[in-house]
Amino acid sequence: MAEKGFNAFKMAQEQFDRIAEKLELDGGTRDLLRTPLREYHFSIPVRMDDGSIKVFKGFRIQHNDARGPCKGGIRFHPQETADTVRALSMWMTWKCSVVNIPLGGGKGGVICDPHNLSQREQEAVCRGWVRQISKNVGPNEDVPAPDVMTNGQHMLWMLDEYETISGGRYPGFITGKPVGHGGSLGRTEATGYGVIFSLREACKGADLELSNTTASVQGFGNVGQYAIELYTKYGGKVVCVSCWDQGDSKAHSFFKEDGVDLKELRSITDRFGSINKVKAGELGYDVLSGDAWLKQDVDILIPAALENAITGDNVANINEGVKIIVEGANGPTTPEADEILFNRGIVVIPDFLANAGGVACSYFEQVQSNTNYYWPKDEVIGKLDDKMTEAFYSVMDISKRRNISMRDAAYMIAISRVAEACRLRGWV
Amino acid sequence: MEKDYCPYLSDDRHEENDVNTGDRIGNGTDWKLAEREKELKCIYSISAVVRDKDITVKEAMKRIVDLIPLAWRYPEITCARILFDDQEVVTRNFRETLWKQAGEIRYGDEVKGSIEVYYLQERESMGDGPFLAEESNLIETIAEMVGTYLEKRRIHQDLRDLERKPQADKQDWEVILDLLIKTDPRGSLRITRRMIYHLYRIHNEEITNVINGICTLDENEADSEWCGINIPNPREDIATLEEVQKKVFMIAKRSLSPQEITDLFNTWLMADKARTLLLMSQRRGVSLLDISRELNHFWDLDEDSRSLAPEDDVTIRTALIRHFFTGKLRYVNVAKNYMTLENFVTLLRNIVGPSQGEGKLGGKVSGIFLAEKIIEKEKGRFEELRDIRFPKSWYLTTDTMLSLIHYNDLDEISHIKYMDPNEIRQEQPFLEQIFKNSLFPPDILGGLRGILRDLGNRPIIVRSSSLLEDSFGAAFSGKYKSLFLVNDGTEEERLSALINAITEVYASTFAPEPIAYRKERGLLDFFEEMGILIQEVVGKRIGDYFIPAFAGVAFSNNEFRWSPRIRREDGIIRMVAGLGTRAVDRVGNDYPVLVSPNRPEIQVNTLVDETVQYSQHNMDVINLKKGRLETVPTLEFLRQNWDDYPMIDRIVSIHRDDMLTPVVGILHDARDEDMVITFSKLIGDKRFIPQIKRLLSILKEKMGNPVDIEFAHDGDALYILQCRPQSHAIEMERVPIPKNIPQDRKLFSAGKYVTTSHIENIEYVVYVDPAAYETLEEREMIYSVAQAVGALNRALPKRKFILMGPGRWGSRGDIKLGVPITYNDINNTALLIEIARIKGGYQPELSFGTHFFQDLVEADIHYLPLYPDEPENLFNDEMFRIAPNHLGELLPKYAGLEDVIKVVDLSEISRGGTLSVVMDGEANSALAYMRPPDHWLWRMRKVEEIAASMDVDLYGVKGIYVIGSTKEGTAGPESDIDIIVHQVEDEEKRDALLSRLIGWDEKMCQENLDRTGVEMERILDVHIVTDDDIANKTSWATHIDSPYNPARKISLSDQ
Repeated sequence: MAEKGFNAFKMAQEQFDRIAEKLELDGGTRDLLRTPLREYHFSIPVRMDDGSIKVFKGFRIQHNDARGPCKGGIRFHPQETADTVRALSMWMTWKCSVVNIPLGGGKGGVICDPHNLSQREQEAVCRGWVRQISKNVGPNEDVPAPDVMTNGQHMLWMLDEYETISGGRYPGFITGKPVGHGGSLGRTEATGYGVIFSLREACKGADLELSNTTASVQGFGNVGQYAIELYTKYGGKVVCVSCWDQGDSKAHSFFKEDGVDLKELRSITDRFGSINKVKAGELGYDVLSGDAWLKQDVDILIPAALENAITGDNVANINEGVKIIVEGANGPTTPEADEILFNRGIVVIPDFLANAGGVACSYFEQVQSNTNYYWPKDEVIGKLDDKMTEAFYSVMDISKRRNISMRDAAYMIAISRVAEACRLRGWV
Repeated sequence: MEKDYCPYLSDDRHEENDVNTGDRIGNGTDWKLAEREKELKCIYSISAVVRDKDITVKEAMKRIVDLIPLAWRYPEITCARILFDDQEVVTRNFRETLWKQAGEIRYGDEVKGSIEVYYLQERESMGDGPFLAEESNLIETIAEMVGTYLEKRRIHQDLRDLERKPQADKQDWEVILDLLIKTDPRGSLRITRRMIYHLYRIHNEEITNVINGICTLDENEADSEWCGINIPNPREDIATLEEVQKKVFMIAKRSLSPQEITDLFNTWLMADKARTLLLMSQRRGVSLLDISRELNHFWDLDEDSRSLAPEDDVTIRTALIRHFFTGKLRYVNVAKNYMTLENFVTLLRNIVGPSQGEGKLGGKVSGIFLAEKIIEKEKGRFEELRDIRFPKSWYLTTDTMLSLIHYNDLDEISHIKYMDPNEIRQEQPFLEQIFKNSLFPPDILGGLRGILRDLGNRPIIVRSSSLLEDSFGAAFSGKYKSLFLVNDGTEEERLSALINAITEVYASTFAPEPIAYRKERGLLDFFEEMGILIQEVVGKRIGDYFIPAFAGVAFSNNEFRWSPRIRREDGIIRMVAGLGTRAVDRVGNDYPVLVSPNRPEIQVNTLVDETVQYSQHNMDVINLKKGRLETVPTLEFLRQNWDDYPMIDRIVSIHRDDMLTPVVGILHDARDEDMVITFSKLIGDKRFIPQIKRLLSILKEKMGNPVDIEFAHDGDALYILQCRPQSHAIEMERVPIPKNIPQDRKLFSAGKYVTTSHIENIEYVVYVDPAAYETLEEREMIYSVAQAVGALNRALPKRKFILMGPGRWGSRGDIKLGVPITYNDINNTALLIEIARIKGGYQPELSFGTHFFQDLVEADIHYLPLYPDEPENLFNDEMFRIAPNHLGELLPKYAGLEDVIKVVDLSEISRGGTLSVVMDGEANSALAYMRPPDHWLWRMRKVEEIAASMDVDLYGVKGIYVIGSTKEGTAGPESDIDIIVHQVEDEEKRDALLSRLIGWDEKMCQENLDRTGVEMERILDVHIVTDDDIANKTSWATHIDSPYNPARKISLSDQ
């Protein structure tokens, strides 16, 4: 059936083609990289609670493993399409490549809606998935991780099934496991800290003394909070934070000229990251509208909440003083806004570089699991710093040399590394 | 009185004297005189024995036989024997000798026994052998006395034995009948009637002839003929009846064994004990006091005497059910199988009301009391029900409120319900204070004190239980108040708090909301009475707080299904930690845990994030120290009371590492952890869920309709607090799909996964065209559709529009599957519709709103899936195609999306009408159709049209106002429209305006005729006022800014 309308895979391929063109890749390499290497589609029969059998469709798509075992999440989604998963597996290849970790890209999942499944049935789906694909995945082939509607519990079920089949203990088969059950310390902080490691280096490149800068942050979730934590630790001053208010069903921005106090804000935040606006007022914060964070006279903007936060409509609201935007969230800047920002000379550290701390930490988890030796948190964070910093400079370098956006530069590096690996292996 | 003068006193000294006297006599000084004395003494003693009703016949005979020798001349050698009824009693020294004297005992003209006296040794002959002639007389006298005594006792005995143990007694039933005929002719007729029925029942033919004999006018006339004639039946005199009676018992004697008849008599005579109770129960207007007295009187009889004929038992019970609960047949039919007389005896002990009153207990009490009795009875069958409990409860009858009203001369308040809604609103706080400052009559006050003493210092809840709450299928729940009381302090303080609460509930009968609601349903003229249910609050003391471990509500039918795997009849539980208030009401931004009792494993929220987000943030607790209900943050409260909180390990889960784990023993000190209320262990522990499931199924089965129960658990046991038909819950009221809607007024219909709801007065439809959405190629376009929907959500009037769109609203991952909105982008809609169009032979799976399911539930936004490609469903594509699209007008920024999003103003396509969506979960069917405007709305729109098109400068019009029925929304097809026109003082302009309005009037009359068939000469009633009028507040001008009932201002055309 011809797909009409929006198609994520088509979009990913177009994006690849554009960069491939810039990289002047040969036709064979392009053909190889614009489609996945392998796709597995299989049926998972599950005995339901009522005794009936329901057959679920499972799949695993391995886009490229030239640089190492595939890495990528497992999604439980009721109306998953193969093209979406193809696109996501391709993006995983680029993401691992840009932070230069020795992993390829994959993605997989099961067409199901966990909302309609009991815990036992979900467990059966997880184990069934592993049974069908166990020969083609593993610590040295393809390493799954949690994704949409899956979590640590699902990973442990899958691990257990894999180990039962393989007759041994292979904690490196899967990542996203709880701490104490093969998980890595530092994962909570990884993404937020990673954002600031990139930012720290970006400041150096822009001749900014980080400790003299000010920033405005959108989002007070995991990424936002740890980004603020590290940024403040480096001496930076966050003057504005916006966050979603569950009760009001809209966002508010919290402004404090002297800089927000993270500890203070956390103490008045519920577990969903909603800051109590009454208490914030009492503590001397100005409670402003949800989009006020964008308009602040600061050096740095950290969108760490939503997709499409900066659009063609509001990009003009960004203050003239802003020099760096570091994308903590996925896709916070629309292409239209991206172009305007580039022309304004604002450095945008693209999402798949800035927030790659998460995938880097997954890699560390895998390494620790494979050696069955677990590092202290500091060691994890230290290694993360190294990875992020190194990745940043490679991208920065290309961006400056070719006068292209960081985003394009990041894609170019990522793709050329994969292409190089394929060439060296003699695939192309 | 001095003792010495009393001849019958039998103290020691007296007896000593007697003995001495006897001795002296025995020594023979004046023996004749002494003999007479002995005889007299014997007769006195015997008569004392026969008067004693407390001894048995045999015992009496024994005593008598021992008395006899003393009266004879030589007591030491005298022995005696009494023979009666094949029995004998003898003196200790008895033996038969030659020297014998005897007397016959007779009764009923027959010799029934004898008294014999023997001398053990020979004595000189005195006339009658060795006996004195006087002694011969004496023995006759004694025999007569004994005969009379035995006769009397025998009849009594017959009766009593019959009453006691009929099977043991084989005595002649005819004696009883004779006795009855003499002493209680009516009673004997009752027995006769019963015998006739009995004989009928066993198909005795003779009895038919006897009965036909009574009815016959003329012996020659066939009985079947006269019966059809419309003349009164002849009256038979009592002698005839006696004749019939005789015949009946002759037949009985022939066809039944004596034992059978005796058994029947026994049963019938026993049943007569409950006669007064039976009669009382059949009377109308019996007071609470009388019922209580009769019932207790009956109940105080010993257990054997309490047995009732089954038909009498059921008669009394149904009468009591009607008296205290309701006469609704459905209820009575069920209740009579479960409520016993004993239940009523206990119930009465807990009722407070005017003693002369005859009030009922109201709907809420009817529900819970019946539920309790059903569960009590079914406990034996189902293990799950065994430890279900019901809180201690007290009841105030519905007429207690009336007695308060009369006692305080407040009778005029009954007119309040007919007042203007605005006035009611103004009046309400004042009225509440009047109630609160009224005095209860002393008998009620005494009752209330009794309640407080019985309940002690435990917190209590005062609930409304009104007559309307159980009538007419109206959903009255939540319209009246339920109030918590800490119930602490001195008795006076507690009493005053209780009275305060009761009167507040009373005052809520006159509150604007319930009255408006009654008006809508046509129930205004019903004479509403308010009963009160006082229950102890189920819970435990934790520090300064008092709360149940958890509480909630459960419904037989799930009207909020979150998965197609859950069936409507699987039911639903909404529960929270702490007081159930947060589960009963929807607080909007807080979330109870929802469980399907039949499929507990299918959870609403499967992702950890969702579970955490949609969890209970606050809990309601009773603060004993501050004496009030409080809402406290859940997490803090649980942390502070971790060790004391009952069942906490079954209520919370630990949230760590993006996982939710149950609290396991010592591995966690949960005080350091993030906790989320999930009830996961409770749901999994195979006790609570099966209990609720069984409760719902039993109550639904026995009550004959789906039920709604409220429950609470104090850590030890599950308590049921309320039970009522589910249709009485406000959002569950079933409205049937209207049948005769013309095809062209239907918009769409549905037949799958329909939940019960009824949405009216929808003015706009926002329709995201599935086909057009499908063709969108750019991600940005898809997101702008979502943004446009969000903008429309803010621009359109709240709850006056519905949203229809393809597939899964709120899709995150694959945005082609549905518009990627967040809850915030749709939170003003009245209904969320997902359209599943078949694509390439494949029907997409819908989301059921799962992306924000609990937000929808708590905000009462309903969800409906549409499957337009299924043949039985209707979908009016044409209407969506031709209707003008207002998107560009409303949101110029998104005008480019007009192909994808359609905003339809429904009044345009239906001449001022609105959309109604009726969803009937019972029938699994829904229909959306255009409803023509109401009479008042049509009138209002007409005035708006006039105002909008009027040249205000030309006519000098400064304002137009609407008053009367159009403004109140009560206009009918014949109502006129009262408008006030504020105009400059100008004669010419006034005339011009009036003639212009006449033109309008004619047009409107014609239109009204077309719409309704009602012919009116004029419809507009115009009142002109000037600036002066307004300044001086003269005539009609007073309406314009009346504080009570201001006129509605109509906006004029732009100037």
